[in-house]
Amino acid sequence: MNRNADPQTRVRGWRRFKDAGVVVLMNLWCYPALILWTLLGLVLFPVVFGLGLVFLRMPADRLMRLLVWIYGRGWVVLMSPFVRFRREGMGLIEVGKPCVFVVNHLSFFDTYCMALLPGYDITFAVRSWPFKMFWYSIFMRLARYLDVEGSSWQETLSNCQSTFAAGGTVLFFPEGHRSRDGELQRFYTGAFKVAVAAQVPLVPLCIEGTDHLLPPGRKWFRPCTIRLRALEPIRIRDYSDTDGHILLRKQVKEHIAAALASMRTQNSQ
Amino acid sequence: MTEEEVIELIDSSLAEEFELERADMTPEANIYEDLGLDSLDTVDMVIVLEGAFKFKIREEESIRAIRTLGDIHRFVLEKVAQNT
Repeated sequence: MNRNADPQTRVRGWRRFKDAGVVVLMNLWCYPALILWTLLGLVLFPVVFGLGLVFLRMPADRLMRLLVWIYGRGWVVLMSPFVRFRREGMGLIEVGKPCVFVVNHLSFFDTYCMALLPGYDITFAVRSWPFKMFWYSIFMRLARYLDVEGSSWQETLSNCQSTFAAGGTVLFFPEGHRSRDGELQRFYTGAFKVAVAAQVPLVPLCIEGTDHLLPPGRKWFRPCTIRLRALEPIRIRDYSDTDGHILLRKQVKEHIAAALASMRTQNSQ
Repeated sequence: MTEEEVIELIDSSLAEEFELERADMTPEANIYEDLGLDSLDTVDMVIVLEGAFKFKIREEESIRAIRTLGDIHRFVLEKVAQNT
């Protein structure tokens, strides 16, 4: 560092040096820790799954969803030395009651962050591509996640209704894929049609910060704050008209957009 | 219904369902490349048109050949003519 530089420049230089050091430390810790956690999970899975079936006596798909949630919680713990996780409005969620969750989508790691939700019985409704990857597919099929792209509307609705009947929840990313610029994209109508047809409450969720963790095109994690906020659940009775799902979609998108804007403002202060 | 009314009902229904900008909805617009619809939307598109015109088209083979908004206009106009 230049000894003749003015104090402000020296402070800025020191901060940049410190930030770079934290990024290096974070990546030296996070990558090996996550790989070890995943390998440990894979090795222990057959034993834990078998013991769970025998002693917990819960259906295999529900047990699988519990194990996915525990894996996600482990990820949160391993990342937490470098990532601040904030949960807001979780008291609005009635654990053990069926509902449809809809959440904006910023990063691959959004799915991991769903372990921040208080209940573990979450059935992800996703597109076809993850089902084509065998290392995901086997666990997703065991957990009975929903392939909404590869199923007809009737099949999707019927599978969702079975999940609700067992007290579970279904989670959709209504944008269909990650936002590349952080802005909300068009919302698909599937999640809203399911909520209206099945007459279950819809809980909008807003996630913020995962796009800073590993921005598109980057390979290195960066320290950040990730916030998951549950918004007021929406009772579906008022949306039973023919175009009720469209009105519901519009209102939910407005709620999520407003929450996202306020969370970003708070983060930047 | 006149031809214009049919086309207006198609366009307004699709714009509502898929958050489309009316300015982009020209007959030449490719529904995938220009309007940004995809495989998830095609199922919804059939449901929307069935709901708007009260006919059943989900078994029709010719739906698979639809590429532009103009194709949808022609397809629905034919179905409406057959049903009247």
